Amino acid sequence: MADTVIAPDVEAPVNPTGEAADVVRAAARKKALITGIGFILVGLYALWAFGFGTKSGVDAVFGMTVPNRDTTEVGDLSLPARAVAIAMSVLCMVAGVLRIVLDRSRLAIRLSIALFLIAFVIAFLVWAVAGKQMSFAGALQNTLLAAVPLVLGALAGVIGERSGVVNIAIDGQFLFGAFAAALTGSITGSLWAGLAAGMVAGALIGGLLAVFAVRYLVEQVVLGVVINLLVTGITGFLYTQLLQKDPEGYNNPGVFENIRIPGLADIPVIGPVLFDVNIIVYLMYALIVIVHLGLFHTRWGLRARAVGEHPTAADTVGIKVNATRYRNVIMAGAIAGIGGAFLTIGTVGTFSKDMTSGAGYIALAAVIFGRWRPLGAVAAALLFGFTSALATSLQPLNTSIPSQFLQMMPYVVTIFAVAGLVGKVRAPAAANKPYTKG
Amino acid sequence: MRRVSKVTAAAVGVTLALTATAACGSKPKDDDKKSNSGTSATPGGSQAAKIDFKACMVTDTGGIDDRSFNASSWAGLQQAKSELGVDVKYITSKTENDYVPNLNSLVNDKCGLIIAVGGLMADATKAAASTHKDQKFAIVDSSSIEPNVQGLQFNTAEAGFLGGYLAAGYSKSGKVATFGALPIPPVTVFMDGYVQGVRYYNQTKGKNVQVIGWDDVKGDGSLAGKFDSPADGERITNDFIAQGADVIMPVAGQTGLGAASAAQKSGGKASIIWVDQDGYESASQYKSVFLSTVTKDIKGQVFNAVKAAANNQFTTKATIGTLANNGVGLAPFHDFDSKVPADLKAELNTVKADIVSGKIKITSKNQPKS
Repeated sequence: MADTVIAPDVEAPVNPTGEAADVVRAAARKKALITGIGFILVGLYALWAFGFGTKSGVDAVFGMTVPNRDTTEVGDLSLPARAVAIAMSVLCMVAGVLRIVLDRSRLAIRLSIALFLIAFVIAFLVWAVAGKQMSFAGALQNTLLAAVPLVLGALAGVIGERSGVVNIAIDGQFLFGAFAAALTGSITGSLWAGLAAGMVAGALIGGLLAVFAVRYLVEQVVLGVVINLLVTGITGFLYTQLLQKDPEGYNNPGVFENIRIPGLADIPVIGPVLFDVNIIVYLMYALIVIVHLGLFHTRWGLRARAVGEHPTAADTVGIKVNATRYRNVIMAGAIAGIGGAFLTIGTVGTFSKDMTSGAGYIALAAVIFGRWRPLGAVAAALLFGFTSALATSLQPLNTSIPSQFLQMMPYVVTIFAVAGLVGKVRAPAAANKPYTKG
Repeated sequence: MRRVSKVTAAAVGVTLALTATAACGSKPKDDDKKSNSGTSATPGGSQAAKIDFKACMVTDTGGIDDRSFNASSWAGLQQAKSELGVDVKYITSKTENDYVPNLNSLVNDKCGLIIAVGGLMADATKAAASTHKDQKFAIVDSSSIEPNVQGLQFNTAEAGFLGGYLAAGYSKSGKVATFGALPIPPVTVFMDGYVQGVRYYNQTKGKNVQVIGWDDVKGDGSLAGKFDSPADGERITNDFIAQGADVIMPVAGQTGLGAASAAQKSGGKASIIWVDQDGYESASQYKSVFLSTVTKDIKGQVFNAVKAAANNQFTTKATIGTLANNGVGLAPFHDFDSKVPADLKAELNTVKADIVSGKIKITSKNQPKS
């Protein structure tokens, strides 16, 4: 089964020379032209729909005071809707022109795409909010709320896949972590015990995944799906038998209090959103840094990646492939378990049946959209969280967009952003490939 | 939809109370059969004389313990068992593909009355009813199907109207809100009534309370898209609170629990109007935020249907739970009782009487048609 090969790096060389280089350059030129024209066309559409579609003399008001936080009032941001929408539409077109002109450097490409996306979103927002009010700070808060479990799940996914084990069971780890945290937190009356139980529960599911994937060489995608179904069944059963019978005794753990970091939390708008949150969110900040540094700057990370790219080579230099995989998958499970715990003792405060509602699969998508990199996954999770928060805020504004389209928005935006920003992705070569000697 | 009541008895108690008041209230004309047996309930839980009748139900995919319409229907059958001495039985639908086989298996089981729970089962029930013309059926949240299916429906717009009036009267910020899970009539009928209740309050009082989250004319607004995600409910409610709303009615099952959680975190700023069964009992972890509940007495309707069928008085005339027959209503204020002004309570009674007498007209295309 040791049939792993090192895939050639598919990315084009930075400074190609010779005939092949001409071909590559011509292809890049064509791509730049197509995307650039696309941007300009979308910009024209935005100009027509959002710019001239907005009545003049109407303001779009964005609330900038973070709700439910001990913070200084920040004045509402009031923008002249029509003018801003027109300006932003023009910027969309400028981004298109830049994309065509500056086709050589990768940085310029990314900047032009980012400029296009931001300008388009602002044009859209002022059009949708024109004559009304939307709490922008509240949307930022909701972004974080939606992103925290996704980020933690995605970190777990990154560690697993980098070590060569595909983790479809993130959703199951969420659900079991959420359940264990709520139950333990209620029984012991300690949220810390609940958090620990959430980690243990996630690690247990990780262990289950590891045993079957590493020891018994089960197809990992199928295995993950089966584990998710198993967890749905177990938690559903225990929920009806225990939690539902006595919700005040078994399903009432409470929620972690927010901790305000003086100084940082005083930064206007962003401060209270990022630095007046509960311990799980701070834990997430720490884990992002730890996983990123660990994976790319430590011996542990090098070994994990070796095991995930070329287990045979890793084995020949004396790395214990399967032991590494066991350890990493179980550890990743604990991280996903924290994400699950956030769903109960970090936000809502009670467990309910199937409450993850597919969040684990979105986290999995963030792994891939983030190119199997921790920071990329975080960006993908934040983007998804931000668009869902916007969709939530726009629904009650009674815009002409049907609510079903707004519900679709996070998924559509994520797909487009990924297609535009991420480009070609390559999975760790040995992901989903069990390793046996010989 | 989710129910978290720790004791079914609590829900039973509330429903019994409702049924008891129903006996004193004015009876709907299509429902007078049951009035002659209103006092036949046996005291103290002792088993009634056994009669040879079997009432069965098919659950929707939510299962028997959903703390919502399946659980309420089953509670109605339990009541029939203890008070009438009939045999009861249920069978669970795991998926929508189970509806037809489940209904058929109950036909073969010689059930006197088969209760299909949920409007989503209407097509399956129609199919089963047309092949077994001698079998009696009843269906919750759907209209009657001739010749042998009785619809058990609820005009929740009436109770939602009271909920809206209460919200508008109680709100201090002048902004109230509502959201649903999916744009289906059993959900949106609550929201239509709510919006119109607020509008009526504004008209009669000359106020300008705004409703965020639903436009009853357009039939669109804030929808979570799912019944099972409290996290989504919490985010929607956070947004409402950020916009200044202080009374929120979620019509979204478990997703609505997120609304209760968000209200709890607002530190008493926002309160929740729950739906279906009294949230104070059924979601007791959040009881401190429930202003009231817009209730729907599924249990009582199911019980009445079984009773009629057991007494050979089965009819295909649909029963519609209304304010007049206490099939829908407003639950007690519980912890909020002292905070709701006496004037508002009195006005609510007047509004209720006006709806019952037809003086106030509610126009929702999602209401059941009698």
